[in-house]
Amino acid sequence: MSVVLYMSMSVDGFIAGPGDELGNGLGAGGEALHAWLAAGDGSPGSYRPENGPNATVFDEMIATGAVITGRRTFELAHGWDGDHHDDVPVFVLTRSEPADPASGHAHYVTDLEACVAEAKAAAGDRDVMVHGAATAQSMLRVGLLDELAIQLMPLLLGQGRRLFDDLPPELHELELLRSLEGPGVLHLSYRVRRTS
Amino acid sequence: MGAIRLDMTMSLDGYVAGPADDADNPMGLGGFRLFNWLDHREEKGPHGDAYAEMTASQAFISGRRTYELANHWDGDLHGGMPVFVLTHDVPDEPPPGSIRFIPPVHVCAIPARVAAVVAPTSVLGAGAAQSLLNAGELDELELHVVPVLLGQGRRLFDHLRTDPVTLELVRRGSTPEVQHLRYRLGQQT
Repeated sequence: MSVVLYMSMSVDGFIAGPGDELGNGLGAGGEALHAWLAAGDGSPGSYRPENGPNATVFDEMIATGAVITGRRTFELAHGWDGDHHDDVPVFVLTRSEPADPASGHAHYVTDLEACVAEAKAAAGDRDVMVHGAATAQSMLRVGLLDELAIQLMPLLLGQGRRLFDDLPPELHELELLRSLEGPGVLHLSYRVRRTS
Repeated sequence: MGAIRLDMTMSLDGYVAGPADDADNPMGLGGFRLFNWLDHREEKGPHGDAYAEMTASQAFISGRRTYELANHWDGDLHGGMPVFVLTHDVPDEPPPGSIRFIPPVHVCAIPARVAAVVAPTSVLGAGAAQSLLNAGELDELELHVVPVLLGQGRRLFDHLRTDPVTLELVRRGSTPEVQHLRYRLGQQT
């Protein structure tokens, strides 16, 4: 089992356009980042592409046994109404735990390492899905991310929120696991290797 | 007329040079790692094809920074091919050899496309690429995406002021060393 980051990213490296906020989670022009998904009704499972490589990758994503996400991503997504997929636990990283518990299958956690350990334990022999740029950056900094599953979208957004930002000048070698072209998207999977 | 193509090797996190790039170390810290795939440039297949096309250009557009870091190519890039240098601050001295200063991006794009009949005119440097993208004068992107994260450095896509632009993936050469991705630029959305 692996801890895998799933993110749709434009060719110029953005995972949301400018002005991403509650009610417009993907920012200006950012909806195009999800063009590889089917039109859904708000619950993540309803966005399954019909078939082909896009469906394959989607199915892998929702076969994960736990989700780790950041508070910001979680709130912009309205907490996925308490269930990301199949009732798996959702661990929401936050600096300070709110007084009210998170909805549904979500839990707030403040310690990254403990969070990853809990998510792995909950997932058993399934992968853990990571979602959100800030969370990805935190996990890359301390070497807790095993794989990157990037849905590279044929698009230049020009501005917005970058996936890879605020990282130290530290070289990480990646190993290509798969390059899979689907309609309107290139799925790139890499294993993260910690060097130096 | 032919195409203006940006041909760049970039890390997965979007850098074309590591941090602290300067005249003595133009690729910055760790940046030479990006060029490991060129060890395979003579091989048949995606690497050899990409390299052959990369070197087929008959004309170039460069930014001022790249021009200075390259010591003006001593006025002779690849046997006297034309180089159009974009600069806000045209020096008093005329440029050496086959180099021309043509500051306005739209003006520069005209001779660049005329010179691209045999092979696309190539863009040298992230600064020139950004100027062309902002002016809507870039036709194609050939990205060699290296499986490495540099963490910091000089970004290829930075300081962009355009509306979103759609791309079309027109060719893909997938290898463990690098993803060769060619995109055609579409309309601003």
